[in-house]
Amino acid sequence: MKRRNFVKGLLTAGAGSVIASPWVARKAVAASNSGTVKLGCLFSSSGTMANIEGRLNYVAQMAAEEINAKGGVLGKTVEVVTTDPGSDWPLYAQLGRQLIQQEEVAATFGCWTSVSRKSVLPVVEQNDALLYYPLHFEGEENSKNVVYLNSPPSSSVLPAVEYLMGDEGGSARRFFMLGSDYVWPRTINQQLKGYWAEQGIEPEAWREEYVPVGHSNFQTLINEIREFANQPGGQPIVVLTVVGNSIPDFFREFINQGISAFDIPVLGLDAVEADFEGLDTAPLVGHLNCWAYLQNAAGPRNEEFLSNWSNYVAANDVPFSPNVAIDPMVSTYDGVHLWAMAAEKAGSFGVPDVRDASAGLTFACPSGYDISMTSENTYVKRGVFIGSLNENQGFDILWQSPDTPEPVPFSPYMNS
Amino acid sequence: MARRRVDFGHLLVSFILLCAASLPALAQDRGTIIAEICSGDFGAQQSALGQLAAAGMSEDSSDATWARRIVEAFEGRELRCGNGVALITTEDGAVQAASMEPSDVDAETLAPPSVNLRLRATAASAAAILRLFIEEDAANRLSAANYIDRRREAATAPILSAALERENDAEVRAVLSTLRASLLLEDPDPANRIAAVEAIAQDATLRNRTTIAEAMRDESDADVLAAGDAAIASIDRMLQVGKILSTLYSGASYASVLFLAALGLAIIFGLMGVINLAQGELIMVGAYAAWFTQEAIRTALPALLDYYLIIAIPISFMAAALVGLLMEVIVIRRLYDRPLMTLLATWAISLLLINTVRVTIGSQNLEFHQPYYVSGGFPLVGDFIMTSNRLFAIVVAICACVTVVVLLRRSLFGMNIRAVTQNRAMAGAAGIDTRRTDMMAFSLGSGLAGLAGLALSPLYNVNPGMGTGFIVDSFMVVVLGGVGSLIGAALAAIGIGQINVIVEPIYGAVAAKVFVLLLVIVFIQWRPEGLFAPKGRR
Amino acid sequence: MASDTFAERHRLPLLSRIVVATLIALVVAVPLLGGPLAGSAAGLSPYMANIIGQIATFALLALALDLVWGYGGILSLGHGLFFAAGGYLIAMHMLKAGYVFGGVTPDLMTFMGWSELPVHWAFFESFPYALLMIVLVPGLLAFLYGYVSFRSRVSGVYFAIITQALTYVAMLMMFRNDTGFGGNNGMTGFTTLLGQDIGGHAMVVGLASASVLALLVAFIGCSALLRSPFGKLLVAIRDDEARLRFLGYDTLWPKLAAWCLSGILAAIAGALYVPQVGIINPRLLSPELSIEIAVWVALGGRGALSGAVIGAAIISALKFWLTGFVPEAWPFILALVVLVVVTLLPNGLLDLKPQVLWRGRRSGKRGMIE
Repeated sequence: MKRRNFVKGLLTAGAGSVIASPWVARKAVAASNSGTVKLGCLFSSSGTMANIEGRLNYVAQMAAEEINAKGGVLGKTVEVVTTDPGSDWPLYAQLGRQLIQQEEVAATFGCWTSVSRKSVLPVVEQNDALLYYPLHFEGEENSKNVVYLNSPPSSSVLPAVEYLMGDEGGSARRFFMLGSDYVWPRTINQQLKGYWAEQGIEPEAWREEYVPVGHSNFQTLINEIREFANQPGGQPIVVLTVVGNSIPDFFREFINQGISAFDIPVLGLDAVEADFEGLDTAPLVGHLNCWAYLQNAAGPRNEEFLSNWSNYVAANDVPFSPNVAIDPMVSTYDGVHLWAMAAEKAGSFGVPDVRDASAGLTFACPSGYDISMTSENTYVKRGVFIGSLNENQGFDILWQSPDTPEPVPFSPYMNS
Repeated sequence: MARRRVDFGHLLVSFILLCAASLPALAQDRGTIIAEICSGDFGAQQSALGQLAAAGMSEDSSDATWARRIVEAFEGRELRCGNGVALITTEDGAVQAASMEPSDVDAETLAPPSVNLRLRATAASAAAILRLFIEEDAANRLSAANYIDRRREAATAPILSAALERENDAEVRAVLSTLRASLLLEDPDPANRIAAVEAIAQDATLRNRTTIAEAMRDESDADVLAAGDAAIASIDRMLQVGKILSTLYSGASYASVLFLAALGLAIIFGLMGVINLAQGELIMVGAYAAWFTQEAIRTALPALLDYYLIIAIPISFMAAALVGLLMEVIVIRRLYDRPLMTLLATWAISLLLINTVRVTIGSQNLEFHQPYYVSGGFPLVGDFIMTSNRLFAIVVAICACVTVVVLLRRSLFGMNIRAVTQNRAMAGAAGIDTRRTDMMAFSLGSGLAGLAGLALSPLYNVNPGMGTGFIVDSFMVVVLGGVGSLIGAALAAIGIGQINVIVEPIYGAVAAKVFVLLLVIVFIQWRPEGLFAPKGRR
Repeated sequence: MASDTFAERHRLPLLSRIVVATLIALVVAVPLLGGPLAGSAAGLSPYMANIIGQIATFALLALALDLVWGYGGILSLGHGLFFAAGGYLIAMHMLKAGYVFGGVTPDLMTFMGWSELPVHWAFFESFPYALLMIVLVPGLLAFLYGYVSFRSRVSGVYFAIITQALTYVAMLMMFRNDTGFGGNNGMTGFTTLLGQDIGGHAMVVGLASASVLALLVAFIGCSALLRSPFGKLLVAIRDDEARLRFLGYDTLWPKLAAWCLSGILAAIAGALYVPQVGIINPRLLSPELSIEIAVWVALGGRGALSGAVIGAAIISALKFWLTGFVPEAWPFILALVVLVVVTLLPNGLLDLKPQVLWRGRRSGKRGMIE
C-alpha cells in the first residue's frame, strides 16, 4: 500500500512539474539573456503553407546575421526565435502569445494568409506588441501594432487589373474570379467588383467562385472557366486568388486541358516563383502576377541579395532552393532591417519608441526601389511589378511603377 | 478555333496585309519593319508582325527566311533595340537585325522590346505561317497548319490562298482550305460566307458557335442566315453530347481515384477488420517511390525517363507493401482482436510516416516529369477534352481491379484470403496458416495503396501530407460498398464519384462533397452492411 | 465482473480521490495566485493561468469521451464536433454582444459585404440565451445522430468511422463562408465577455478558474452517476449489449442519455476553451483532432474517469511544453507514446502500476475493455 501510494504520488508530482516547468524555465531564461535581443517568427514549416512560408524563417535569420555582422542593434546581438504554427490559424495566435509573453521578443515577423494575421492581431493589440507582416493583402486594416510591409490592393491588384483592361494587356472585359474561401480573396473580389461597376462593366461580365483552402481538384472548375471564356462579350481573364498548394494544382489542370495564356490569361495574385517549382511552365508562358518584388528585377542590389541568399542556403543546409527568391522573402528581409534601423534611431526596443521612430525611415530594397515609411500610418511604400511567367518558372518584368505609390489602407471600392 | 471577335488590331493588320498582298515582295523594306517592331508602340508592332507573316508570300524566298528569323528572335527575346540599332543575339555574338551582318555593338547595352500577350500570340501565329512557307518536310508544314488553325492572329485569306497555291501535300491542303474558307465570314460573296459558316461548324466548339452567332447578327442574306442557324443547331447538339461525356468522364476519373485509394483498404478491412488510418500514408509512400524511381532513371538511364511511371509500378507496389509488412509485423499483429486499438495505432504510424518524410525529404511539392502519355489531352466531341493523366488513372484502376479479382478468385493465395475472411476459425482448422495469410494480405493491401500513389502522382500534389485527404473518402467507399467486397467498393466508388461530379457544377465542390457524405451516412443507417456484404460478416 | 470489483476495490477510488484533491487545490490556488498574489514569487502569470485553463478544458473533453467510451463502449472519433459546437456558440455570443452593445462590427460582415447578420445569429447577444444554446444545440445534434445510429444497431468500428465522417462534413460546411460562421477565418476579435475585457488579467484568471471548477464539478458528478444504477447499466451495455437486450432491458435510452450528456459536456468544454484562445476556426472540426481526443483517453486509461483526466493533462502539457522548445519532435514523441501505450499498456497508464508492482499477475487480457 505504501509503495503504491508513493508511486502514485510520484506520478502526480511528475505531471505537476511537467506543467510547471515552462514557468520555471522562463524565469531562469529571463535571468540569463541580457546580451541578446530576440525577434520572433510565425511562419509555418508544415501544412499547406509550408512550401512558401518556410523560407521566410531562413531569410529572417539571414537578415539577422547581416545585422549582427555589423555589430548588432544597440550593442546587442539579434536572435531569431522560430516556431511552427503548422498552417493552423489558431496556433499562430497561441504561438504569438508564447513569443510575446514567454520569450519576450522585441518584435514578431509573421503570417502569410490574412486569416493567420487576423488571428494574431488581437494578441499583438492586447500586448501592445509589433507584428511585421510581409505579404500583400486586402487592406481594410490599419492597426498601430502591425507594420504592413507589403502592398494593399491599391498598389497591387488594381494596377494589374488596369493593365489587363488596357489595350496592351488585351482589353479584358470579362472576369472569372476564382479564390480560396477566406477573407483576402473575398475582400479583393469585393473591391474589384466595385471598381468594375465604376468602369461601367455589367455584372453579367463577371463570375465569382470559391474553393476551400487547400482544394486540389480543379477539373470541373476549369471546364466552367472554358465555358465562360467561350461566351461572347470580350476578352476573358481569370483573377486567381487561390493560395498555397492550390496554385500549382490549378495550373496543372490548365495545362492538361490545353488552355494557353493567349486564350485565357490568368492573373495569379498570390502566385510566386516557388509555386511553379514542380511544373513545366512552357505551356504556361504569359500568365501574370503582381508583386512588389520579382526575382528578375534588375540592379546590383538584387544581384547581391540573390547571391547572399544562395550562399546562405549552401552554408546552412537550408531545405529550399538557393536559386529562387520570392517577394515575401524580400519583404521579411526589409522588415528586419527596418526594425533594426528604427530601434537604433529610437535608442530603445520599446514598441512605442520603435513605432514612432519608423516614420521617415528609408531602406534600399533589393527590388531596386527605396522603400520608406511615413508618420501617417504603419504602411511601407514600395514599388509595383507586373510579371509574366516564362519557361523557366520565373517571371519576366512586363511593367514596373516609376516610383513607390502611396498605399491606400481603406479602399474606396468596398461597399458597406 | 476561330477568332472570338473582329477587333481593331486585327482589322488593322488585315488592311495592311491586303495592301501588302498586292506586292510581290515585302511591303516595306526590312529596316522600316525592324524600326516598327522596336518602336514599343503596340499598333506598330502588330502591323510589323503582320508584314513579317506576309513575307511568306514573297517571291524572294530569302524574305521569308529573314522574316522567320526576326519573328523567332522577337519571341525568344533575342532581338534587342536601342539608339537606332537593332541586333539579334546569337551564340557567336550579335548580328544586325536588318542585314544579318555581324555587329560589334555590345548587345548588353540594348533591351528587348516588351512583348505582351497579344503580341506574343500574333508572333506565334506569324512564326507558324512562315513555317508553312519555308519547311521542306510535309509533316512540319502540317503541324504548322494545325497551329495556325488554333492561332489565327496573323492569318488572312490572301496568305492562305498563296500557301494553298504552293502546297502539294494533300493533308496540308485540306487543313488550309478549311481554314481559308472559315476566314471568309466577312467575304462579300454570300456563297463564300455560307462555305465559311459550314467550314467553321465542322469543329463543334462553343467558341465557333459564338463566332457564327456574332457574324449572323449583322447578316442580311437569307441563305446565309439559314446556313448559320443550321450550323448553330448542329454545334449545339455536339456540345450537348460533349457535356454529357465530360460529366461521365469526370465522374469516372474521380471514381477511379477513390477506388484506387480504397482498394487496399477494402482487402485489409474486409479480411482482418483492421482499420488502417495509415492508408493515406501508404499512398504517399507509393508516390514518393515513383519519384525516387524518376530521379534514379534521370541520373542512370536518362533515355528512359519518359517511362519512369511504368517502371515504377512494381517499385511503388513493393515499397508500400514493405512498409505495410513492417507495420503488420511490429505493431498490428499484437492488436488483432482489438480493432479500436489498431485504429489508434495506425493513426500513430501515419503521424510517424508523415513526419519522417517531412523531416528527411522536406515538405515541398515534388517535381514530376510529365511524360507524353500523361500530359495534354484528346479533344473529342464538342468542348469535351479527355485529359491523359486522368485516363492513366482510370486505366490503372481498371487493371488493378481486374488483377486483384483474378488473384482472389483464381489463386491459392486468394482462396486463403477469402476463406479467412469468411470464417477465420474454420479456415485455421482446415489447415490454412492464418497468421501468414494476414501478413501477406496486409502487404497486398498496402502495395495496392502504393500503386494508387503512383497513379495519382500526375493528378495531385505530392507532399508528405497528401494522404490525409483520402482517408475519409476511402472509408466511405469501403463502408458503403460492403466490407470485404471488391465489386461493392468499385460500385460505391463509381456512385460516389458520379454523384459528386453531377452536383459540383450546381452547388460547388464543397456542397457536393457534403451531400455525398451525408448520403452515405444515411445509407449506412438504413443498410449497415453496405451494398454487397459477403456472407459471414456481422 | 471481476475486473470491475478489482478496479473499484483497489485502484479507482484512490486515484479518483487524488484527482479530486488536486482539482480542489487548483480551484483555490489559481484565483489566489493569479489574482491577489500575482506579483509574488509564486504568482501565476496570465500566460500560465491561460495554459492551465486550456488544459482543464481538454481534460473535461476527455472526460466526456471517456464517459461514453470507457463506460459505455461507444467509441466516438468525432467528439471535436461537440467541442467546436460549444466553441462556436460562445463565439457567436461574444461577437454579437460586441456588435450590439459595443458597436464593434464582426470581420465576417465586412469581408462578406453583409449589412446585417444572418438569421441564426438572432438573440445571441444575451448570455443566458447563449448558455441555453450551448446545452440545447449539441444535445440535439447528439440526440439526432445517436438515436438514428443506435436504433440501427450501428456500433463499434462503423460508428467510429461515421463520427469521423460527420465531423469532416461539419468541417467542410464551416469552411464555407456562406454558412455565416466566418468560414476559414473563423471568428476572432472578441472584445468582452459578460462585460469584462477579454484580454484582461482578471478575465484570463477567471476563465482558468472557471475551467478548473467545471472540470471538478463534472468529475464528481460523473463519478457519482457512474456509481449509480444507471452507471452499472451503462457498463453492462458495454460489456455485453446483446445479453442485456435478451434480459429485457431497453438499451437504446441509457446509451442515448449517456451520449447526449457526453456531447453537452464536450460543448461546455469548448465554450470555456474558445474565450481563452481568442479564436475559433473550423480546424477544430478536423478528423485528426478528434482522434487526438481518443488518444488522450486511451493513454490515461479508459477504464477510469481519472485516467482520462490525467491522460489529457499529461499530453496537453507535454504538447505545450515541447512545441515551444522542439516543435519538430512533438509528432514523433506523440506517435511513439501512442504506439507504446497501445501495444504494451492496453489500459493506458492505469496499467503501469499493476505491471510494475504485481509481477506474475498479468492483467493483460483481463480487465481490458474493447
